[in-house]
Amino acid sequence: MKLPAPPSDEQFTSRLRSAAVAARIGLWLGICFAIAFVTGLISHYAQNHSQPIPFPTSPSWGYRVTQGLHVTAGTAAVPLLLVKLWTVYPRLFIRPPRGARKLAVEGLERASIGVLVAGAVFQLVTGLMNSSQWYPWGFSFRATHYAVGWVTIGAMVVHIAVKLPIIRHALTGDVEDTSQDRPTATRHGVLTRRGLLRTTWGAAGLAVLATAGSTVPFLRDVSIFGVRSGDGPAGVPINRSASAAGVTASAVSSSFMLTLVHGDTTTGLTRQDLLDLPQRTESLPIACVEGWSASATWTGVRMRDLLDLVAAPPGRDVVVTSLQQRGAFGVTVLQANFADDDRTLLALGLNGETLALDHGFPCRVIAPDRPGVLQTKWVTRLEVQA
Amino acid sequence: MRATRAAVGALGVLAGAYGAWLLLSRLDPTQLTSAALWLAGGVVLHDFVLTPLVLVGVLVVGRVLPRHAHAPAVVGLVVLGAVTLLAIPVLGRFGARPDNPTLLDRSYGAGWLVLAGLTVVAVVVASLVVRSRHRVPAPTTEGSPRGPRPGGG
Repeated sequence: MKLPAPPSDEQFTSRLRSAAVAARIGLWLGICFAIAFVTGLISHYAQNHSQPIPFPTSPSWGYRVTQGLHVTAGTAAVPLLLVKLWTVYPRLFIRPPRGARKLAVEGLERASIGVLVAGAVFQLVTGLMNSSQWYPWGFSFRATHYAVGWVTIGAMVVHIAVKLPIIRHALTGDVEDTSQDRPTATRHGVLTRRGLLRTTWGAAGLAVLATAGSTVPFLRDVSIFGVRSGDGPAGVPINRSASAAGVTASAVSSSFMLTLVHGDTTTGLTRQDLLDLPQRTESLPIACVEGWSASATWTGVRMRDLLDLVAAPPGRDVVVTSLQQRGAFGVTVLQANFADDDRTLLALGLNGETLALDHGFPCRVIAPDRPGVLQTKWVTRLEVQA
Repeated sequence: MRATRAAVGALGVLAGAYGAWLLLSRLDPTQLTSAALWLAGGVVLHDFVLTPLVLVGVLVVGRVLPRHAHAPAVVGLVVLGAVTLLAIPVLGRFGARPDNPTLLDRSYGAGWLVLAGLTVVAVVVASLVVRSRHRVPAPTTEGSPRGPRPGGG
């Protein structure tokens, strides 16, 4: 039996598969990936224990915006990447050139494209799956998504450098220009080039509208594919529940005690003791690394007031320990600039209600401009660092 | 131009090499194998499953649907197909957990049906508009006696 021959690039005849189209979609794809890369670096840095340059505490909604942008840019990139790859698909079947030198150059370029496509698909797929908390793989999401982010942006920059003359020619010329097309790409399709571009922008726009409601409140009702409706105890969704963290018994135990430590000074406070301290109310967003966010009104004790109880000087990092038994971020560092910010609370209530168990009862950290994973819930110990 | 391109290319290689070093130094062999599988799997699935399916789909549209419906149907397929693909994690609710009712708490199937329904309606309406335009004799319009081709293609 004879296997069917692989297609050759000459067999792809649509004139939509043109550099004039690929460069225009590629431009927006590049912008989306650049936004996702920069906001990804910000998010990665914000989660680092050690921050040589302090992460800013203002504006309080800063991380909400950068992480919302991160997920939105990635979502918009899905239709862009699909159409972009469709326009260049015939290049997969171009016959290798003759001559060792030409073969080596072409081999290198193809390898860089292979890395770019693998990285781009990987980032969008794992990112979307992470935002819906679906992890059917055996690698650490944060470390891998971060590393592949560098690989992908590097391959993209190489790709731009290689194609720069073609890109310039295509973007400065007319969309109908055929001077850079493959010789066989002459057949008129059912769409015009402008029609295909408008369809692509439309698909990207719809992708954003259908998902962004998880972080943009006024889109809530149209975001049919948002990972969260925005509902939850006291009107705020939950990322990890008390039962998932293994704290259902310890958090409601009558022997609960918050321990404050500074050097040799140690103080224990019950929840009632916390309620007897001056109560503050702050409006601060909770913004999760998975891309959803919500603003809320938090009530509780100012972190700085607690640190004063153990005579902690300003400018000290605070190690926050949670009751949680399972999962990462059970022990976090509240950097000095966050610990000293007047808006940072050890919250006891949310939107006028007692903090729900799933929101971190008996008490939790809420600080401005911080990733949600660091807004530690079920806090049992605050230790001022030397 | 040449120097700029070389500098930009070198910058890209540096960034990529840093990423590769991060991968190799921060992931143990088991994690690396899994990541490699997912990296390669995405390309294979896209190039040898998804794209051939799309090519066949476009062929089927061309054969089955009347000519005036071609352009609207392709637009509808691109939009609905791309958005459906990126909604797979929520449509399947694979990450849902019984202990957290605030996660994946929308009726995604119903939402998809509404979107698909609206897309079908839009495609039908656009097809009818294309057909009615072509029926009207337009002596001032350039092109073939039957008027411009669907979608202006």
